[in-house]
Amino acid sequence: MRALDDVEVALKRTLELLSDAVASSPAASFRPTTIITGNDGQHSLETTFYKIPGSHVIARYVKSSHRNDPGRTVLEIILILFAIRTLLQSRTRADSGGSHFIQFNEKEIDELVDEWTPEPLGQPLSEAEAAELASVPVITGPNGVKPRLAGVGKQVLNLASYNFTGLASNEAIKQRAIEALRKYGVGSCGPPQFYGTLDVHMDLERDIAEFLGTEAAILYSQAFATISSVIPAFSKRGDVIVADRGVNFAIQKGLQISRSTVRWFDHNDLNSLEAVLESVKKEQRKKRSPLTRRFIVTEGIFEKDGAMVDLPKLVELKEKYKYRLILDESISFGTVGRTGRGLTELYNVPACKVDMLVGSVANTLNASGGFCAGSRIVIDHQRINGSSFVFSASGPALLAVSASEGINVLRDTPSILSTLQENIQAVRSILTRVDCITVPSHPASPIIHFHVRPTSPHSLLPSAVPHSGKPSNPTSIQPRDPPVFDIELEERLLQEIVEEALAQGVWITRAKRLRGQEYVEARPSIRLAISAGLTKKECEKAANVVKAAA
Amino acid sequence: MPSNIALNPRSPIASMFKKRSSQSMSVMASAASYLSAVSQADARARAHGGTPTSTPALSLSSSVTASSEDTVLNESDDNADGLALPLNPPTSEQVFDTLHSEFGHCANENFRYTSAHPAGAEVKPFEEKEPPYYILLTTYLSYLILICLGHMRDFLGKRFNPKFYRHLLPYDGHAPLNSDFDSFYTRRLKARIDDCFGHPITGVPGRTIALLDRTSPDHNLTQVLTGTKTRALNISSYNYLGFAQARGGCADVVEEGMRRYGVSTCGARLEGGTSELHLAAEALVANFVGQEDALISSMGFATNSTIIPALVGKGCLVISDELNHASIRFGVRLSGANVRMFKHNNMESLETLLREVISQGQPKTHRPWKKILVIVEGLYSMEGTMVNLPVILELKKKYKFYLFVDEAHSIGALGPHGRGVADYYNINPRDIDILMGTFTKSFGAAGGYISGNKSLIDRMRLRGHGGTYAESMTPPVLMQVMASMASIMGVGNGPVSVPRPRAPSLLPSWMQLPPNMADGSQGRARLRRLAFNSRYLSRGLEKLGFITYGHSDSPIVPLLLFNPGKMAVFARMMRTRATPIVIVVVAYPATPLVTSRVRFCLSAAHTKEDIDIVLRACDEIGDVLDLKHLEGERWPLQRIFDNAVELVNMQE
Repeated sequence: MRALDDVEVALKRTLELLSDAVASSPAASFRPTTIITGNDGQHSLETTFYKIPGSHVIARYVKSSHRNDPGRTVLEIILILFAIRTLLQSRTRADSGGSHFIQFNEKEIDELVDEWTPEPLGQPLSEAEAAELASVPVITGPNGVKPRLAGVGKQVLNLASYNFTGLASNEAIKQRAIEALRKYGVGSCGPPQFYGTLDVHMDLERDIAEFLGTEAAILYSQAFATISSVIPAFSKRGDVIVADRGVNFAIQKGLQISRSTVRWFDHNDLNSLEAVLESVKKEQRKKRSPLTRRFIVTEGIFEKDGAMVDLPKLVELKEKYKYRLILDESISFGTVGRTGRGLTELYNVPACKVDMLVGSVANTLNASGGFCAGSRIVIDHQRINGSSFVFSASGPALLAVSASEGINVLRDTPSILSTLQENIQAVRSILTRVDCITVPSHPASPIIHFHVRPTSPHSLLPSAVPHSGKPSNPTSIQPRDPPVFDIELEERLLQEIVEEALAQGVWITRAKRLRGQEYVEARPSIRLAISAGLTKKECEKAANVVKAAA
Repeated sequence: MPSNIALNPRSPIASMFKKRSSQSMSVMASAASYLSAVSQADARARAHGGTPTSTPALSLSSSVTASSEDTVLNESDDNADGLALPLNPPTSEQVFDTLHSEFGHCANENFRYTSAHPAGAEVKPFEEKEPPYYILLTTYLSYLILICLGHMRDFLGKRFNPKFYRHLLPYDGHAPLNSDFDSFYTRRLKARIDDCFGHPITGVPGRTIALLDRTSPDHNLTQVLTGTKTRALNISSYNYLGFAQARGGCADVVEEGMRRYGVSTCGARLEGGTSELHLAAEALVANFVGQEDALISSMGFATNSTIIPALVGKGCLVISDELNHASIRFGVRLSGANVRMFKHNNMESLETLLREVISQGQPKTHRPWKKILVIVEGLYSMEGTMVNLPVILELKKKYKFYLFVDEAHSIGALGPHGRGVADYYNINPRDIDILMGTFTKSFGAAGGYISGNKSLIDRMRLRGHGGTYAESMTPPVLMQVMASMASIMGVGNGPVSVPRPRAPSLLPSWMQLPPNMADGSQGRARLRRLAFNSRYLSRGLEKLGFITYGHSDSPIVPLLLFNPGKMAVFARMMRTRATPIVIVVVAYPATPLVTSRVRFCLSAAHTKEDIDIVLRACDEIGDVLDLKHLEGERWPLQRIFDNAVELVNMQE
């Protein structure tokens, strides 16, 4: 209490000094030095001071306290100086307070400015990069299972574009989209909070939620921007995220933005996940850290290699260790399960067991945008905290309408999904017979990745790496025994396959990666995207072309 | 006057709305029925009063009659509010090819203005106009009361109604998703006025907008749709050039394009999602903004958040205006570059900062920065301020930084040719390294672009996150972008007044625009109408004594309310007028705590009469809410109405 009193008194004195200066400043003869040193100044200072109402009381108090306890006055003066110093410091700390700040005079700064030469904003493309950009095929006319490409005379079989359900060429959807255009125009011209929420957006959100069996869903206007906003909406600094080492780029960005503590488990290895969860539990108990939010972030079908997560086991683990699950179903939503409800339907796990189920409206429903489905609390939270939801305009009405129609089509025609699975099997049965490639994808995955088996004996396959037996370090993104591969060589080989296949009328693509920006470099692969719109024969033909090219 | 504070959202205020039952919205079968409805409505309008001077005759171009589904004309029996049909019917000489509810009819050539910076004039620095002290004091007090009440309610609620707080407290070994502290502002302050946010709509967000009426039975916890609709004058959408239209040349092109190209492009740009349309649209955008090349992204937010990390990285410095948009901050955070901020639009602050950072170099190591990127916005969406581009370019010459201008709001909305801030100041756009913009606002589409020199954009195609991983822009959106942009540029037949050479080859050959769009005359009229409307409203509000922010050529006009309680009342009073008006109210955290504001977003679709309606509404509400605190000359309402042209043409 005493210390508090002291501060109070100190502040009072500062105030006195200040009011003093203000009071005397209008005087024409005002000079700061005379106030402190000159006798006249001293006198006028005193008279102005006593003009302030209540100042007598303060003066008496100060005098008596000084008489009673001179040490206290010294202490108070020190306190005043300290207070002033703190006040001044907090204002300048951001600019030049640090000990690393070097004082320059104006001339020196001018010289430094003249000397400084920045790097170019963007380096021109190297020859290889320019060739890569030039090798991207351009579709003329509509995209679908058999599009026409610029520079290629005839139609090609499309195993490159995401058109899993074959809805891209659905006339009914197109008709609904045109009707929506005539009612809503194209753009929504506003963020959802400011008159950008259309009834068709609410309808689509309800359709998705009902389709999946969750309480609610929220619609973002780009699939890629969805999960990178969903993660930081919930997980903040100090929270714990346990993530798969093989998660896609959008998730990596979400983890980065969240600034949470991230622990990694081996790609699609739930034993490794359990070990990491156990180690986090121990760590938290040891530190006696307060209860924080904890999340497991992984994908349903991995965009990087088509592997599929064992959802029931995952749900069991998250319930055992009290984690929440953020599951990215961008590839698996609309492609697996009897009617395309995704992994939850395939494994018969209620969708409400997944706390945040993120999916893409672009990949399967052939519209644009992404969604997150979950409980009402989870969804409403994002309406205020999901940055790419709040700060972005809502998507065009006609795309929302086509997505709703797409869900209707999926619901009414389960045969789409069985055709898709048959097509996948048809392609896989041929590819697995090819010696020089390996397929890491799950048998039900609509994307089929394959790597080339390198010819040189010393570069080893990931499966052939001798396991040292020790688990990887969960704090590092790098696994203990990272697979060794020659990116440049393999990409060149794969690109040759791509070009050979295109010459035969089958359009496939390498899985494009942002080399140098991903946390873990993925092994180069070719990614086939199978569509239900193709016939079995066409799939077999395409697979045979790939087989021949490989 | 009954107390307006009593306008409470939880009471079923729907009764105060003008009711239009949705059942009456039937579909018109043919063009003939549309025309007969128009002539009936015209007869009604004449019977209302105001004898027209010349013979009313309605000439509607084929584009309107072709699409006869009309939800507007037969939704109400009277047109007293002038939303569905013009109060003064058009004369025989006047031909309108737009729907009045989407794009207002305005034939008076005096109500036009050209948006341009007067040559040689100094750019005035941004000054914040201060309200009287008692306003600030009561504002702080309001927040204090709200916060105290909120904490009291939390304190009592947690004890007497713990079920309600369950999601904010730990349960079953899980930490709460959202702590009661973090969500306090949302729960206890924003929730009180939630009826002013996220209002669902239907139809075209054009000159007017159809609100889906809703009420809240439980103090704004949930909103229930009542099933009815209210048509309101829309001063809230980012529809600067009025291209939010379901009819007309653009929509026709989009429909034709969807028939040809489908709805989706199925995939990322580098992985099987590049269409010839992307290339055509990118060439057109580059031509429009005056840069060598452009790259299109399917979402405006993502344009910034995925491109900035490809431009700068570790060892680079981003200097950002303190009021830059969240997407820019998101992108900068992803990039790993250091970031420093300067005071909003304050060039001295920027120069001081530049001198400091260049002389000091990187923190601790003092190595020189690899690159310095200054990111500013062309037009700030919350302030209506315009970047001081001439001075920034001078600084750029001296300090050798790279300049990134986010033209999300300025592209299309500013400049004599609608080409953004560079056009407005008559500056060569190639002096700016990167021009970024969106199609959501002026072009009535979605998505965004960045433009710059060819080698840089090619690098962005490979290094930007979107090219590899994000879905590409869909054909209907591309079509809307191309049609609207081409009509502003006037690429097609007919005389062209734009300085740069036009290139008809930029549009696919099948894309046929109506003549007034192909020659750019409609585009020019849109630009000039927007410029007039913007100046008229901001000058008019000033003459009424309101404190507004921003540039008078800005189509965004923020009107300062200060007290948080006034936001809700203002929004509700506007929405429940005889002619309902929707506006956007914003407060902390989008703005500083004390400067809560209402934001008007003007459009070329508004007519002078619409602005009159807004001014009259503001005048009345401003008196009730004590909002007129600006010092300076005041004009009575009628004088503003009568001297609109003089007011707009008045120089600073």
